[in-house]
Amino acid sequence: MLCNLTGIALRVGAPRIVPTRGIPYPTGDPALPPAEERAWRRRLVEQALVAVSTPVEGPTLFPLDGGP
Amino acid sequence: MRAVEFGPATGYAGGVLTVARSEAEARLAHPALDGVRLSWASPGEAVRIVKVLDAVEPRTKGPGGGGVFPGFTGPARPPGRGETHVLRGAAVVAAGYLPRAQEGLVDLSGPAAPLSPLGATHNLVVEFRPAAGAAWEDVDDALRRGLLRLAVRLADAAVDAPPDTVEVLATAGRRNRPGLPRIAAVTNLQTQGAFKDVFVYGRRFAAALPTLIAPGELDDGAVVSGQFGHPGLKNPTYLHQNHPVVEALRLRHGHDLLLAGVVLAPEPVEAAGKELVSAHAARLCALAGIDGAVVTKEGGGNADADMALKMDALEDAGIAAVGLFAEMAGPDGTAPPVVVPPERATAMVSTGNYDERLRLPAVERALGGERFDLAGVEATAALEVPTAVVYCSLSPLGWGRLTCREQLERSIA
Amino acid sequence: MTRVVHYLNQFFAGIGGEDSAGVGPGTAAGPVGPGRRLGALLGDGFEIVATVWCGDDHAAAGDGVAAEIVAMAAEAKAELLLAGPAFGSGRYGLACARVAAAAEAAGIPAVAAMHEDNPGVGDAGAAPVVGVGPSAREMPAALDRLAGAARTVAAGRVLTPAGGRVGPVPRRGVLAEAPAAARAVDLLLARLGGDRERSEVPLPSFDRVVPAAPLADPAGATVVLVTEGALVPDGNPDKLESARATRWQRYPLDGLDRLEPGAWRSVHGGFSTVWANEDPHRILPVDAARDLEREGAIGVLGSEYLVTVGNGTAVATARRFGVEWADDLRRSGARAAILTAT
Repeated sequence: MLCNLTGIALRVGAPRIVPTRGIPYPTGDPALPPAEERAWRRRLVEQALVAVSTPVEGPTLFPLDGGP
Repeated sequence: MRAVEFGPATGYAGGVLTVARSEAEARLAHPALDGVRLSWASPGEAVRIVKVLDAVEPRTKGPGGGGVFPGFTGPARPPGRGETHVLRGAAVVAAGYLPRAQEGLVDLSGPAAPLSPLGATHNLVVEFRPAAGAAWEDVDDALRRGLLRLAVRLADAAVDAPPDTVEVLATAGRRNRPGLPRIAAVTNLQTQGAFKDVFVYGRRFAAALPTLIAPGELDDGAVVSGQFGHPGLKNPTYLHQNHPVVEALRLRHGHDLLLAGVVLAPEPVEAAGKELVSAHAARLCALAGIDGAVVTKEGGGNADADMALKMDALEDAGIAAVGLFAEMAGPDGTAPPVVVPPERATAMVSTGNYDERLRLPAVERALGGERFDLAGVEATAALEVPTAVVYCSLSPLGWGRLTCREQLERSIA
Repeated sequence: MTRVVHYLNQFFAGIGGEDSAGVGPGTAAGPVGPGRRLGALLGDGFEIVATVWCGDDHAAAGDGVAAEIVAMAAEAKAELLLAGPAFGSGRYGLACARVAAAAEAAGIPAVAAMHEDNPGVGDAGAAPVVGVGPSAREMPAALDRLAGAARTVAAGRVLTPAGGRVGPVPRRGVLAEAPAAARAVDLLLARLGGDRERSEVPLPSFDRVVPAAPLADPAGATVVLVTEGALVPDGNPDKLESARATRWQRYPLDGLDRLEPGAWRSVHGGFSTVWANEDPHRILPVDAARDLEREGAIGVLGSEYLVTVGNGTAVATARRFGVEWADDLRRSGARAAILTAT
């Protein structure tokens, strides 16, 4: 799950969570120029792939460096 | 105020408010609006208002009084002193289509009437047509300003009539009485941009840090609503003017508590902003010597995150906090009532169940639109709807008496 | 004499095991399987006049099945419907819960029995769920508890947590004496006075979710994009709601390398959709996913995406969507899903 309000995700038990930068733009960041926003999006999806390939015991955050 | 009507001249006499259509329409005139239509919808009538937008209580400071709605009809300076003239029992209400506005309704009779403050007011309903080619943001702005101007005009019309009641409101502030806890109303405002914004002194508030104002500033219209989301969870301008938490605190001010002030805070749309605003609000309360806070919100689940963060931040600062929450417990009432509850400041008041179904009878007349689009039927039809669509039914500011209790008594079907 | 109808799944009704999980509803007169002992425990004053069963997969498939089953119970003139015990079995528990909920909604009092961690405990609507052990080894004790709960309900009393009730107790709207603001001030002064327990809203408890085993190798896997950001083709052809979702949709991504602004929009009512409509990839990262597919970081990007709206959507509805999406994805061969949430 890619979401901004990670507290909720943790509380309802989502096992793999990648924190994002804003509610209206989970895989975006309008504050960035277009090329950088696409790069940020790619990093989020890559991190999602890391998360689904990682064993977890319970709700776990997979934050990106330089993340939100 | 006993009765309302249309007539040749706008005025107030013998308890009757008369509105001259042409004069009122002129107050609302704007290039972004192609035309408006005014109607009265009064308590007890078989009338339904659909696509309800904002509602405003007629108020004025009178000649030379400095004006209400600072930043809109009055100068952008903190008001809140002197006399405010209030035409209680009336509201000016805009109804019609705006983008991203979620469809809501008010019934002036039947089971939904007691669930909305507008069920008990004489409502001057303003329907509108946007001008061809006008941007919706301009239509929204024109309507808002027109509504506020009209509200002032109605109150001005009554200003010479002797008042039926005079309320003397104690000023909040530094004066302390030893032993009485200092209580603040912490009011979260939705600040998401076009059609989802609330204005403070006429300004956008999204980038602001929480601020402390005197309750009297709310009385004089410092907070104006431009937010048209969840109707059941709506805080219209009318309820900012008649802030229920401030009223409840005023009743006890000097007896078992002191009303210390009102904290206004935006509701950011991202976690980092929410955390900053909530932490800052708690710091502000601590600096102001606040002992306890009643925290309210605006909006749905997203706003619950702001509530939880603020309440826990206050608790961590040693300030007792209570929050008002609407429950989303599902049509059966068995779903988790609050998805983002606070963790440490766990005292919550319930303002009812968003999902509980209501059956509403057909009505004779509808204003604001021909159809109730959510149900795909004529606006006058009988409806089965969730409580969520009735305007202010789950009032996050605490206006309503609706709440939830565990059903441990078997109901006789 | 109370006429009881007993609901069982295909296994306990003696129809068959997993291989029979797709079997549709059936009925027989009198008690079947564990129903015989249940009937004995209920004693005089009760008679199991009919048994209705259904395969767990068939029962989980849709809403209409619960109604069908309740109709069969009504034909047998049921005055009380007992469902289960389902122990820890998830699909059976959900089926029992939904049947009990549908029975109550149709005016037939009902009780479902299952373990307190069964995902079905939250889906029984107005019907109470009585807690039993986690496995069928505890059948005798479980039937005892179900019989006790049945007697309580038949007597017109409400099953309470003290009486073994598990799962949420329905919360109903009522008009209080004082407005919420005044009650909040009361509650605050009580808290300042030292009462830290009092609250009108209890703290919720949530499902425990067992994490799926990790993917051995995403490079060989089908990965599907799903979202609650309400991103739909421009025009919202299937009229996805903006709040309080009652359904979800699927739309094709075949042959699409990217989402063109203007061809898609978000109809989510819970936030400003300006940014999403400027660039739909902010909700559904098709461009990044296609790049990764081309580079071999994932095997295949799912040919469709699934979408609903998470704005005021009931938790029970969201839970059902999750189960349906999992089923759908499994059938389409997906190994992982990326869910973007707003």
